[in-house]
Amino acid sequence: MSIIRSAKSAGALYWPVQAHRNIGVRALFLVVLAFLVAYGVLFPGLFTASGFGKFTQSWFPLALVAMAQAILMLTGGISLAIGATVSLGAVIAATTMAGPLGVAGGAAAVALAGLGIGAATGFIVVKLRLPAIVVTLAGSFIIGGAALLILPRPGGAIPAWLSDLLAGDTPAAFLILVVIVLLWKLYLATPLGLSLYAAGENPVGAYRSGVPVDAARVAAYAISGLLSTSAGLFVAAQTGSGDPVIGTAFTLNSIAAAVLGGIGFLGGQGTMRGALAGSLLLSLMISVMFFLGFTPVAQYVAQGLIIIGAVAIPQFRKVQQ
Amino acid sequence: MTAWNDSAGGKRASAILKSRPFLTLAIVAAVWIVASFVSRGFGAYGHLRYLVELGAVIGLVAAGQTFVVVAGGIDLSVAAIVTVSAISLPLLSWQADPTGLVSVIAVLALTTAIGVVNGLGVALLRVHPMIMTLAMATFLQGLLIIIAGGSAVTAENPLVHWLGNARPAGIPAGIILWIAVSTVVLTVMHATPFGARIFAMGANPLAASLSGVPMTSTTLAVYGISGFTAALAGVLVLGMNGQGYVGIGDPYLLASIAAVVLGGTSILGGLGTYAGTIPGAILLVTITALITVVNASPGWRSILFGSLILGLLLLSGREQARR
Repeated sequence: MSIIRSAKSAGALYWPVQAHRNIGVRALFLVVLAFLVAYGVLFPGLFTASGFGKFTQSWFPLALVAMAQAILMLTGGISLAIGATVSLGAVIAATTMAGPLGVAGGAAAVALAGLGIGAATGFIVVKLRLPAIVVTLAGSFIIGGAALLILPRPGGAIPAWLSDLLAGDTPAAFLILVVIVLLWKLYLATPLGLSLYAAGENPVGAYRSGVPVDAARVAAYAISGLLSTSAGLFVAAQTGSGDPVIGTAFTLNSIAAAVLGGIGFLGGQGTMRGALAGSLLLSLMISVMFFLGFTPVAQYVAQGLIIIGAVAIPQFRKVQQ
Repeated sequence: MTAWNDSAGGKRASAILKSRPFLTLAIVAAVWIVASFVSRGFGAYGHLRYLVELGAVIGLVAAGQTFVVVAGGIDLSVAAIVTVSAISLPLLSWQADPTGLVSVIAVLALTTAIGVVNGLGVALLRVHPMIMTLAMATFLQGLLIIIAGGSAVTAENPLVHWLGNARPAGIPAGIILWIAVSTVVLTVMHATPFGARIFAMGANPLAASLSGVPMTSTTLAVYGISGFTAALAGVLVLGMNGQGYVGIGDPYLLASIAAVVLGGTSILGGLGTYAGTIPGAILLVTITALITVVNASPGWRSILFGSLILGLLLLSGREQARR
């Protein structure tokens, strides 16, 4: 009886907990909404099916890498190898999918590479107790080198139908993103997913309470790798070919998106919806600057300024309170 | 336990033997000895001197990085700052400045100011160091392309030329500069109140702040020093290269962090010494030289470099277990 009651109250607790978690990102949601409205007014094409499809396609890879970075930061880790991993995913997709393996085999190769690299990184960081920053910085050289070995210069091919399916005039990318978010919710309900926040917030306490801290952290690295190579597959489908350095910018952008979304560096702070909103905000800013005719160089300058501003203002308010 | 081991001198000797800086130094010596047997010409005096000269550049960047990391931060803008100094120096050369000293001082002041801005973001705006310095690097990169426009600029500065090419008493000027900077850095770090404050800040910021460490000014100073030494490295690399171009500083980001960590400084802050960073820098140059000897494709070279750093980290960079 008491078990049932507590289960019931646990169910009733779900929405208040979610609402509480939204508090930190409410302002961010408003800013994103304002940007979306401004974008929609500036470029009315957003509200057609193909316009919406194109917009979500430009957001999709950034959303994936933001999730990849956020899941690590939630466990108290970080990766400076996201960009290299995206590149590796892109070159694997571009070299396998048009070959004998076919699209299914190529996608499997991309997924396996991501999971394998992530798990290996996680093992080195967690089990061998090396600092994540340095491991992933060194790892970015290894992964980037592997991408150069597979495809020394831009080339390879993605079957045209796959490019049309993922990056054509349909909102397929958005639907996939919805599925990924639902899968994330499911993952949070598994024992490993439940351990994620505990492992980041207070690893020693969680360990002593019987939480599988190490397993949760290694799994987070593996999932992060999978998300990164998948983003690479999508980028390859977008461009129709592979490029061994195409992912470089994603390292900074993934950290920026996660931090904009309220994910803390110390672990256990923030939500995935915040990280997604952060990536959407970043993607909107990049699109707006592009449409307003900023040169890529001016975009660099503006991006640096905006990231500092966006990160500093909430922190500054917190200090004043 | 022997009586010799109980004596103070013996304890000190065994502490030195077990310390991280000594371990890194031992690895360097071992690699040099093995490499000079395997590869002809590696162990020649001229080649080793050249390695140390290259190591001076990494060592200078890593000097500031050591300060920042010990203070509990990280500076990911050092590569951009090296490039800033190597590009802005030729642009700042005046006719009325025959020795070139004034423009060098101007560049050092400029980059120190950039570092201080990093520190302002970290200390006052409370932006995480990684975000602050990465955003600064992005910002500088854009600015550099606007200023230099992607073409290489040639330095005609006598002081810079002397620094990159002169060999008073057979020792390259760059190495002399490195020795001088190392002396100052080690003294400041281990024999001044400022150094003690940095360690306190990195070990426990709250406790340090409550104990009266001036957090804001110390943070500003630490990032300012990092900008200063990165620019010194930029000046040296410009002198050795003769030309500055966008991207000239790029290799020094990973190198500076790796040198710090290989030298036994904890990336979490509060623990470490520049005495370990020095052999760490030489070790990195040695690795790069060995990879060049192997004569592999760029992909393999990159993989080898990353793997060797990872392998060396296993020897000397492990964090303590927390439970």
